[in-house]
Amino acid sequence: MPGELESRRSFIRKGIVGTALLVAGGGVWVGTRRTRPDPAIRGPLQVLTPEEATVILAVADRLVPPRRGFPRPVEVEVPRKVDAIVAMAQPAVRHELRQLIGLFESSLAGLVLDGLPGTFSGASPEAQDRRLRDWATSRIEVRRTGFRALKKLVYAAYYASPETWPAVGYPGPPTGGGRR
Amino acid sequence: MAESWRANGPGRILTGAEISRDYEERADACVIGSGAGGATMAARLAEMGARVVLLEEGGLYTRDDFDMQEATAYPRLYQEAGQRATADLAIAVLQGRCVGGGTTVNWTTSFRTPDRVLEHWRSAHGVEGLDPATLAPHFDAVEQRLEIREWPPAQANANNRVLWDGCGKLGWKRAPTRRNVSGCANLGYCGMGCPIDAKRSMDVTYVPDAVKRGAHLYANTRAVRIDLHRKRASLVRAEVLEPGTDRPKGHTVLVKPKVVVLCGGAINSPALLLRSGLDFNGRIGRRTFLHPVVASVAAFRQRIDGFYGAPQSITSHQFADRGPGKLGFFLETAPVHPMLAATSAGGFGAAHQEVMARLGHVCALIGITIDGFLPGEEGGTVSLRKDGRARLDYKLRPQHWEALREANKALARIQLAAGADTVWSLHEDPVVLRGEADLAKLDRAPWRPVRVALFTAHQMGGCAMGKDPDKSVVSSKLRHHQVDNLFVADGSVFPTSLGVNPQETIFALAHWAAGHIGHNLR
Ligand SMILES: Cc1cc2nc3c(=O)[nH]c(=O)nc-3n(C[C@H](O)[C@H](O)[C@H](O)COP(=O)(O)OP(=O)(O)OC[C@H]3O[C@@H](n4cnc5c(N)ncnc54)[C@H](O)[C@@H]3O)c2cc1C
Repeated sequence: MPGELESRRSFIRKGIVGTALLVAGGGVWVGTRRTRPDPAIRGPLQVLTPEEATVILAVADRLVPPRRGFPRPVEVEVPRKVDAIVAMAQPAVRHELRQLIGLFESSLAGLVLDGLPGTFSGASPEAQDRRLRDWATSRIEVRRTGFRALKKLVYAAYYASPETWPAVGYPGPPTGGGRR
Repeated sequence: MAESWRANGPGRILTGAEISRDYEERADACVIGSGAGGATMAARLAEMGARVVLLEEGGLYTRDDFDMQEATAYPRLYQEAGQRATADLAIAVLQGRCVGGGTTVNWTTSFRTPDRVLEHWRSAHGVEGLDPATLAPHFDAVEQRLEIREWPPAQANANNRVLWDGCGKLGWKRAPTRRNVSGCANLGYCGMGCPIDAKRSMDVTYVPDAVKRGAHLYANTRAVRIDLHRKRASLVRAEVLEPGTDRPKGHTVLVKPKVVVLCGGAINSPALLLRSGLDFNGRIGRRTFLHPVVASVAAFRQRIDGFYGAPQSITSHQFADRGPGKLGFFLETAPVHPMLAATSAGGFGAAHQEVMARLGHVCALIGITIDGFLPGEEGGTVSLRKDGRARLDYKLRPQHWEALREANKALARIQLAAGADTVWSLHEDPVVLRGEADLAKLDRAPWRPVRVALFTAHQMGGCAMGKDPDKSVVSSKLRHHQVDNLFVADGSVFPTSLGVNPQETIFALAHWAAGHIGHNLR
């Protein structure tokens, strides 16, 4: 496992700095300052900025990589659906989620935590997978928590969409028959 | 049935959609929450002649609203739009929030309280008078009203048949479950609200019973505070929410009751008491138990179609008692709908997609660990965040991890014995098993918070009953130790977890407690 091989010193450094970053959050907008909004993002969005929605789409593109039969996340409007889920949350939760998106995207956090300079959305697919994996299996619990939050949002938005059901062999709810 | 001592006016139901002014009500009983405990309580009190006001923060939905879509069901019918979890996100919390509470979305498995649990509550927590004989007539009554009967194994879906067959091959205990259904068409959508009213959940049984007897139900109406006056609960303040957005509409409902019966469920009942400043001994929110759940998914050559058919109909209690010093666990199944499966499956990217691509062939089994019985085991804690929201912390100790790991191994063995070609754990680095020889891989997997997906659908405790007012929150009669006319009647009063699915215990407890609560109202 990648995270397990780190030297103790680097773990401590990342632990302290990483936690400080997570706690400070750097303000909601800092993380996405360098993000180039994806023109494929279609509004209107209720809570997320086009930059934040771009990060979500970039994450979704790696959580659901291209595979025959599986629609691309943009086709089932994952960013707009994630935005709708975030909009349902309490204000404090909304704020935390936006901080998380910013931190995940941020080039500074990427440099300190993963040694990967540059934004998440601007990175190559391989580098993106590495950052996702580093977060998913990190020794720092808050990063694993952050990964889980992003993963659940994206997969909920994607697989609750009927357009994805043929790919997984789900015929959908029974029609007629059962209903009185 | 006792004779009425007071003529009730006509019952009525108001939802956030209709409410456009403030309301003030005088009532004999203000029941907060319309789930397993609250609905049973409200129906019984109304039947005894009490004027009941029933407050429910969630919305009122009926069978035509239940569209069998995960995208609508979870946001509408579950706490925090389906996103509730422990503070570290290690354990996903599935909990109902609508008229009917958890019963509207639960999977219908019905057990009476095991005798050994009642005995433990007596000997370890000083709970008095709650013995099998006392509860028996109440179990009988709720079983009759809710049509709780054994579900024939012949009607088990293929997902449950894996559990049945696998246990059979291994020589392990197995049994069909009892379910609260009538005219069930085996659709498989219990978790999203029954679209044909076959499930005898509270929204179609005790809630309408209560309203027929004059109860006033306010839906989309959240109790925000219980006020004390001279050491008695004198006022319940509630705010009306807009259905859909859940934003306060700016209207209030004030209830001046003779008694308050708090039935908001674990997590929310303690949170309301904390918000109301009614924690006199630091015990509120303590001893919260979750039956922490580990799951195992496996693919079979044949189709399983785990999204169809009664979600739970087989159970195994082979490992419910593993001796002193160890948590027991019991084994059941979970429905395999795409969103629930995708948010639970381990890993991401191509590996995750591989599991999803075989969804129609996937079986999902769950291991439910029985927490709260080890010496010194204190469970989780409910506290309040700065903005007033409930926060749940649950520290899993080495004994919990051992039980979760052993439960995962047992589930994998069942799936392999039943013919699975591949079994996946729910780790972020999923453990892949193709035969018994791979079981040791589960021993080496990281059993740490947020490395493996865990769940709870059974929240219990937080307002523990007990004899000692310094160590518990309510008495054996479910009365708040310091506030005379305040009772709690829901899953939060359990001093431990249960070792079986909890709904029927909660129905029976509320049914029983309504007897003395109603009697004292006269
Ligand atoms: C998906 C799922 C499957 C399950 N499957 C089973 C099963 O098969 N068998 C089984 O026995 N159990 C099952 N359970 C658990 C079972 O449903 C619960 O244990 C049970 O419903 C708890 O009863 P309760 O009265 O404590 O709380 P609930 O039934 O949760 O009711 C509490 C109600 O109070 C409301 N409320 C809370 N706070 C306030 C407030 N401040 N103001 C107004 N209203 C408030 C809530 O919105 C909720 O509707 C399942 C649960 C889930 C979520």
